[in-house]
Amino acid sequence: MTSEAEKAESCPVDGNRSDGKDRRSFIARFSSLWMGLGLVSGYGYFASIILRFLYPSRQTNAKDKSWQFVTDLGSIKQGDSLTFISPAGEKAVITRMNMKGDASDFIALSSVCPHLGCQVHWEANKNRYFCPCHGGAFDPSGKATAGPPKAAGQSLPRFTLKVENNLLYIRAKTKSLV
Amino acid sequence: MKLQTKRIVIGVLGIIFLASLVLVQALEVIKKKEEAGLAVTPVSVPVSSQGCVNCHGQALRTPGIVDHWKGSTHAVKGVGCVDCHKADKQDADAFMHEGVLIATVVTPKDCARCHKKEAEEFQHSHHAKAGNILASLDNFLAEKVEGYRDDEGGINFFNPHSPTPGRPEIIKVNGSASAFVGCRQCHGSKVGLMGKDGSKITFEELKPDENGRPTAREVVANIKKDKDGRPVLHPETWPNTGIGRLNLDGSRGSCSACHSRHDFSPRRARQPENCGKCHMGPDHPQKEIFEESKHGVAYRDLKEHLNLDAESWVLGKDYTQAPTCATCHMSGNSRNGGAITHDPGTRLSWTNRPPVSLVMDTTKDHKVVKTTDPAEREKLTYSTAMEKRGKMKDVCAHCHTPDYINSFYSQYDDFVVLFNEKFAKPGKAIMGELKKQGLITKIPFDEKIEYTWFYLWHHEGRRARHGASMMAPDYAHWHGMYEVSEHFYMELIPEAREIIEQARKQGKTKQADAVEKVIDEILSRKEHQWSPKFLDKGKGEKHASAAGVTPPKAPEKEKPAPKKESAPK
Amino acid sequence: MGVIGNWFKERLPVSGVELAELTNEPVPNHMRRWWWCLGGTPAYLFVVQIVTGILLAMYYQPAPETAFESVERITNEVNFGWYIRSVHKWAATLMIAAVVLHQMRVYFTAAYRKPREINWMIGMCLLLCTLLLGFTGYSLVFEQLSYWGVTVASNICDTVPVVGGTIKQMLLGGESYNENTISRFFILHAAVLPTLMVMLIALHIAILRLQGISELQFEDEPEEGPKHFDFFPDHLYTELIVGLVLMILLSTLATLYPAGIGTHADPLTTPEHIKPEWFFYPSFLWLKWFPGTVAVLSSGFIVFVMFIWPFIDAMIVKATKYKDFYVWVGIAGVLMLVGMTLWEALH
Repeated sequence: MTSEAEKAESCPVDGNRSDGKDRRSFIARFSSLWMGLGLVSGYGYFASIILRFLYPSRQTNAKDKSWQFVTDLGSIKQGDSLTFISPAGEKAVITRMNMKGDASDFIALSSVCPHLGCQVHWEANKNRYFCPCHGGAFDPSGKATAGPPKAAGQSLPRFTLKVENNLLYIRAKTKSLV
Repeated sequence: MKLQTKRIVIGVLGIIFLASLVLVQALEVIKKKEEAGLAVTPVSVPVSSQGCVNCHGQALRTPGIVDHWKGSTHAVKGVGCVDCHKADKQDADAFMHEGVLIATVVTPKDCARCHKKEAEEFQHSHHAKAGNILASLDNFLAEKVEGYRDDEGGINFFNPHSPTPGRPEIIKVNGSASAFVGCRQCHGSKVGLMGKDGSKITFEELKPDENGRPTAREVVANIKKDKDGRPVLHPETWPNTGIGRLNLDGSRGSCSACHSRHDFSPRRARQPENCGKCHMGPDHPQKEIFEESKHGVAYRDLKEHLNLDAESWVLGKDYTQAPTCATCHMSGNSRNGGAITHDPGTRLSWTNRPPVSLVMDTTKDHKVVKTTDPAEREKLTYSTAMEKRGKMKDVCAHCHTPDYINSFYSQYDDFVVLFNEKFAKPGKAIMGELKKQGLITKIPFDEKIEYTWFYLWHHEGRRARHGASMMAPDYAHWHGMYEVSEHFYMELIPEAREIIEQARKQGKTKQADAVEKVIDEILSRKEHQWSPKFLDKGKGEKHASAAGVTPPKAPEKEKPAPKKESAPK
Repeated sequence: MGVIGNWFKERLPVSGVELAELTNEPVPNHMRRWWWCLGGTPAYLFVVQIVTGILLAMYYQPAPETAFESVERITNEVNFGWYIRSVHKWAATLMIAAVVLHQMRVYFTAAYRKPREINWMIGMCLLLCTLLLGFTGYSLVFEQLSYWGVTVASNICDTVPVVGGTIKQMLLGGESYNENTISRFFILHAAVLPTLMVMLIALHIAILRLQGISELQFEDEPEEGPKHFDFFPDHLYTELIVGLVLMILLSTLATLYPAGIGTHADPLTTPEHIKPEWFFYPSFLWLKWFPGTVAVLSSGFIVFVMFIWPFIDAMIVKATKYKDFYVWVGIAGVLMLVGMTLWEALH
C-alpha cells in the first residue's frame, strides 16, 4: 500500500523520470527498510524493557539463600529428627543418622513432593512420608516407594547442611528484612 | 516533506530513540551495580521467632531491641529470640509467653549452648569471679559505711526520718542501694526471684544441679508469679549486667556485660569505651590510662582504619594501626594464629589488684599461686607468669622490637617491685601489727588510718602500677607514686604514731612497743633515710637503743610475713 | 494468501479496501505544517500512559500501609522501574501541556464555532479528565505531597455550598483521609477516568471525522491544486515522527530528571512548603487570593464559561458584529494563566 501511495504522490512532482526510475525505486525500497529498521529497533527495545520490567527482579535466585542456624549438635541425638521452617516458608525435616559430628550425620529432606509440589507428611504407623495429592510415598531417607514419584524415580529434595563450631546450619531461602 | 524523506526521518528518529533507551539501560546497570554494592547481608527472622518480632517490633512495644537484633550477626545466621531465651520447664524463672516457654535472663549457660569455648574461657577468668566481691571489703563499704545493713536480721532497709516532699509514698529506704547501683552493676548481682513471702530467692536457695535446674523444690514452689504466670525478678537484683553476675542456674557471669544485647556487637566489644563502663575512676582508671598513653592517642586518631567490623579482627592481618584493650588482652593476632581468649588474665604477668602486686603464676584451677616457698610454688604452678608475658609480648612484637619490649618490661618490673617494697609491704606490715596488737578494731573502716591505707593501695597504689603497666606517665607518677608517698609519710606513719601514743597513755605499753618496733625498723631502711625528722618521733622519745640496733637488718625484708595476704581484698 | 483472505472474509464481513477508504480520510493541507498537527500528541501520550500505567499497576499496592513502600520498590528494585515510573510521570506532564496547547490552537483558530460546539465541550471534558488524572495520580504515591494535596483538595470540595460535604465524603470514602481513600483514588485513576477518557476520545474523533477537520487557508499557499492529502501513509508518517520525537523526549527527560520520591505521608505534620503540581498553580494561587467559597465558586464559574464559550462567542458576534472579540478574550485568558503559573513557580 505504501509503495502505491508513494508513486501517486511523488510522480507528478518529480519531473525527470527517464533514467531515475531504478534509482528511485531503490531509494524508495531502502527508505522503507530504513524506516522499518528504525521503528522496530526503537520500539522493539522499548518492548524488551517492558518485558524486563515485568520479569521479577528479585527472589528465586541463589542470592536469597543463606546459611541459617538450626541447632547445636549436643541437643540432637542419633535417630532424632526435627523440623526446620525457613523464613521463606520452606519446610525441612532433619534427621540425625550418625554421631560423627559433621554434616554427613544428617539428612535434611524437603517436605515438597517432587511430583507436583504438594506437602508430604510423616506417617509414623507406616514409617513413610506420604503425599496426599497423588498418593506418592517416600521412605525415611527420602527415596520414593510408591505412587507417581516412584514411577519417575524421584526422591524428596535435600537441603545442604554444614557443621561449624559444633553448630548445625542449613542452606535455605531467606526473606530479607532489609 | 516528501514521503521518502519522512520515512528516512522516521528511521533516524527510531535509531535516536534506541540510543536514548541504551542510555536508560546503562543507567539501569549502574543502578543495579550500586545496589549490589550496597546490598546488606540478608537478614531474616527465623520462624520460631517471627511472632516475637512481629509483636515486639511494633512502635508501641519494644522496637529498639528488635532493630538491635536485626543488626546482629545472630540475625544474619538465623539465630532468633527463642534460641537464646528458650527455657526448660524445670527452670526456676521459666514462664509461658505467647505459647513459648522462655526466661527473661539469658545466662552464660544459655550462650554456652553455641559459644562453648568462649564460655569456658570466661569461666576461668577473673571476670567470672567478680561476684566474689559480695562479701568483701568494698561491699562492707557500700553496705555499711555508705548504706545500712543489719548484720543479725539481714535487714537492709530503714524508714525515712523525715518525709520526701512530693513523694509521700516513699516509706522505706533500701540501705544497700549504693551496693546494688554501684558495686553490683559492674561486679554482678546475685540474681533473685521474689518469694511469695517477700523473701529473695537466689541460686543459693534454689541449689541448681549441673544443668542449672533447681533441686530445692519447696523453694521453687515459693516463687511469686505475676498475673501472667511470670516469675517476678527481685528488683534489687535485676536489671543487672555485671560481669560476675551469679545467676539462678548457678552459672557465673553475664556475656552482655561486654556484648551488649541485643546486637551483641563484636565491634563494640573491641572498643575501649566498652571496658570503660567499669575500668575507670579513682581506683583503677585503666580507660583513662589508656587514653593518656600513646596507644590511646593513636586509637583516637586512627579508629576508622581499625577495621572494627572485621569478622576475626586479627592484629597484623585486619589492622595494625593502634591497639584497644581487647587487642592486647583478648583478641587474636597473627603471631598466635588468631587465637582469641575470653580470659583477659592469660597475658598478664603481674596482678596489680591486691595491695602487694603478685606474680601471675597460676594453678590448674586458674588461681594465683600465693605461697612464697619456691619449691611449693613450682609444684602448684600450672601456667607461669612468664608464659603469660610471652603471650603479651607476641602482641607487642607487631610494632616493637624485642629489645624495646624487654626494656619496657624491665622498667615495669622495677616500678612494681619498688612500690611493693617501699610502700605496700611496709604499709601492710604496720596495719597488720596494729590489728594484731588490738590497737585498731577488727571492723574495717572505723578508724581514720584504715581510710588512709585504703587510699594508699586501693586507689593511688593501683593507679601508679596500672599507669606503669600501660605507659601513662602522669598516672604512674602524679596520680600514683607521688600520692602514695605523700599518704605514706604525711598520714599513715603520723597516724600510726598517734595511735601508739594514745595506747601508751592507756597503759598498753607492750602493744605500743610492738607496733613502734615495726615502724622504726621500716623507717630505718635505706630508702626511707631521707625522711623528715618528725616521723622519728617514737625513736627520739624512747627505745633509742632498739632503733639504733636494728638498722642493718635490711636483708630481713626477704621474708616479710606473707601469711597475712588474705586479710584485705 | 487468497485462501486465508477468503477464510477471513467469510467470517469477518469487512473488506480491506472499504476499511482503508473508511479510515483514509483526506487530511487538509494545513496539516502539512508541523505546528498544526499536534492534535494527535495528547492521544499518543495517552497511549503511553495506558501502557506504562498498566505496567506500574503490576507492582503498585493501593493501601496506606503498602502504597509508599511499593512505589519505593518500583523505583529502587524492579528492573527499569525507575524508568517506567519516570516516563509515566513525564508523559503526564507533557500530556497536560499538549492538551492545553491543542485547546489553545482550536480556540485561536475559532475552530469551536458552529457546527463544532459539541466537540469543544467534549474537549473540555477531556481537559478536566486529564487534570483529574494528574491529581489522582500523584495522590497514589502516598508521600507528603499526596496526602496533603488530597486533604486540601477535599476540603476545597467541602466549601462548595449544599453539595460540597457530600462530594468530599464520596471522594474520600469517609470524613477525612482514611484507609478507603487510597483505593478510591486508585480506582478513579486506573479504571474510571481512563475508561471515561477512552470513550470521550472516541467520541471526539468520531465527531471530528463526521464533520471533517476545520480547514485553514494560509496566504502563501497556491489557490489551485489539491486542498487535501491522504491520511495513509502521509499523515501517518507525520504522526509516527511526532510519536518518536515524544518517545525520545520522554526517555531523555526520564534519564535526566527521573521521578523522585518524597517522604512518607505523615498525617501529623504538614510540610513547610507545600505546592501542588505545576498545572494546578493557577487554581492554587486563586485559592490564596480569594476566600474559600468565593474562590471555589468563581473557578467553577470560569470553567462553566469555558464550557459554553462557543455559544457565548456566537452571541457576542451576533450582538457586536465584531468577529475577533474572542481573540482578545483568549489573549487575556492565556496571559492570566501564564502569569499566574509563573508567579506561583517563582514564589
